[in-house]
Amino acid sequence: MDGNAIECQGVERRFGTRVAVDQLDLTVPRGSVFGFLGPNGAGKTTTVRMLVGMLRPSAGTIRVFGHDPLSEGEWVRRHSAVMLDNVGLYERLSAWQNLLFAARVAQLTASEGQRRIEEALRRVDLWDRRFDRVSGFSKGMRQKLGLARALLADPELLILDEPTAGLDPSNIVMVRELLVSLAEESERSIFLCTHLLAEAQRICDRVAIIQRGRLLAVGDPNRLGGQGLATVRLTLTGMHPDTAARIALAAHVELSRAEGHDWRAAVSEHDDIEHLVAALVNAGVGVRAVVPEQVSLEDEYMRLVGGEEHV
Amino acid sequence: MSDLRTMMAKEFAELRGNRRFLWVFLVAVMAMGVLPTLTFANHHGHFGALGTILLVLYVLFATVAVGANTAPDLVLHERVGHTLDYLLTTRLSARVIFGAKVATAFIVGYVAAMLAIGVQLVAAAILGGHGFQWLYLAVPGGRIIAFGMTADVSLYVAVIGTFVALRVGEQRAAYMVTLLSVGLLTVPFIAGWLRLSLTTAWIGHAAMWLGAMAVVLGVIGSRIFRRDMLVLYLQE
Repeated sequence: MDGNAIECQGVERRFGTRVAVDQLDLTVPRGSVFGFLGPNGAGKTTTVRMLVGMLRPSAGTIRVFGHDPLSEGEWVRRHSAVMLDNVGLYERLSAWQNLLFAARVAQLTASEGQRRIEEALRRVDLWDRRFDRVSGFSKGMRQKLGLARALLADPELLILDEPTAGLDPSNIVMVRELLVSLAEESERSIFLCTHLLAEAQRICDRVAIIQRGRLLAVGDPNRLGGQGLATVRLTLTGMHPDTAARIALAAHVELSRAEGHDWRAAVSEHDDIEHLVAALVNAGVGVRAVVPEQVSLEDEYMRLVGGEEHV
Repeated sequence: MSDLRTMMAKEFAELRGNRRFLWVFLVAVMAMGVLPTLTFANHHGHFGALGTILLVLYVLFATVAVGANTAPDLVLHERVGHTLDYLLTTRLSARVIFGAKVATAFIVGYVAAMLAIGVQLVAAAILGGHGFQWLYLAVPGGRIIAFGMTADVSLYVAVIGTFVALRVGEQRAAYMVTLLSVGLLTVPFIAGWLRLSLTTAWIGHAAMWLGAMAVVLGVIGSRIFRRDMLVLYLQE
């Protein structure tokens, strides 16, 4: 099936005078892994709640596989599974009972439910603890059980809010590999809210950065840096400070000496690099090397979110 | 119906694992079963209609004590544990979630009352009470109160307790407000708007009106119970 898993247009959510989500425009293609990044209180969980019809947007429209989560909430929730930041497991029940309830809610037959429960518990390495009460589980075990529950009904859309929160490094690797394998499976779409930028860069096809309810950037996690300021390292001969100032002005870049013959230029668009090199050559400067420096998702995130913090 | 059964099976499984609930249930049933028998043991059956009513009131107390504890707890532990958030992300309708909680609290409250009657009978037999504990079961008015009005009160407490727990975030406060709502039922009599009578006809009509009121409250509750309202409660 073609189309988008999620479409948000001008979505707003207010709590009294506080704006939790502000004019959110978002498109998540079907079958993609979409990273939704932002600090605590950015509006990620509120967005997730609106996506599954738990919250009514104050303005704007949301469509999940073309369906309205409010008026067609049951359809949306039947085809999606959500793991919220607070996993929400029944403490007085065992891991098995928790998943059995989820299987019944998903209307799986008894035999199919038991098969999937076993598969899910083995997948997250909790099979041996299946009859233990959840109240005795560590934070990491709860996260894994929550993930198993979300996977149980084999949803078309998986919404995960901080699935690696509270996990130790080995479990983070386990969850990451699980997410990679899930992403590779069929047509499943994954909407992943996370703080872990390296994870997002590695797993996600597209990411969005949200801060104080406003969308700051959307794009390919490996190219997102290109939307903002990028850095180029230049090895130049015959370059004088006066020349540098003139060229910087003409090419609309920030140019500064690094060390020796090395200079660093901050450009706002990739085309600026070509203009810079042309200006340098025209000024009689020898250009020995031009090396674009990789701007990581973390750099871009910190630039966008960090910058916002100072506003 | 299958969703309601699924939700109720989960509720009962959770109650079985709730030690506090089991203690409240046991203490309420035993207290309301044994206390009246001890109270009237020396009267040897000479206590008339008022005594009969007092005896059967203990059955209602059992329902109120257990129901007022159970109904808020069924909601509040889901709020505290964030499982209500999970429930709201599933395909279960808000009506099923609300209905299962009300139905479970109703059944638990009613079963507590019936067990209390059983304990009263056993205690009477052990104490050799000359069968006076049967008095309220022997007369139609007593049977209406024991089986009919107990069901009404159990449903009323279940509906109010569930509603209150959606608004009040603390167990003790929810319990107290639910008890207060039961106390409100006496206001028309205390204010003199209604006159209390112990005739079978009057008790029968009172049971019907109370039952109808509880059902109407339950229907109103299920109609105004919306997913997005609940999430707002969680975010307060």
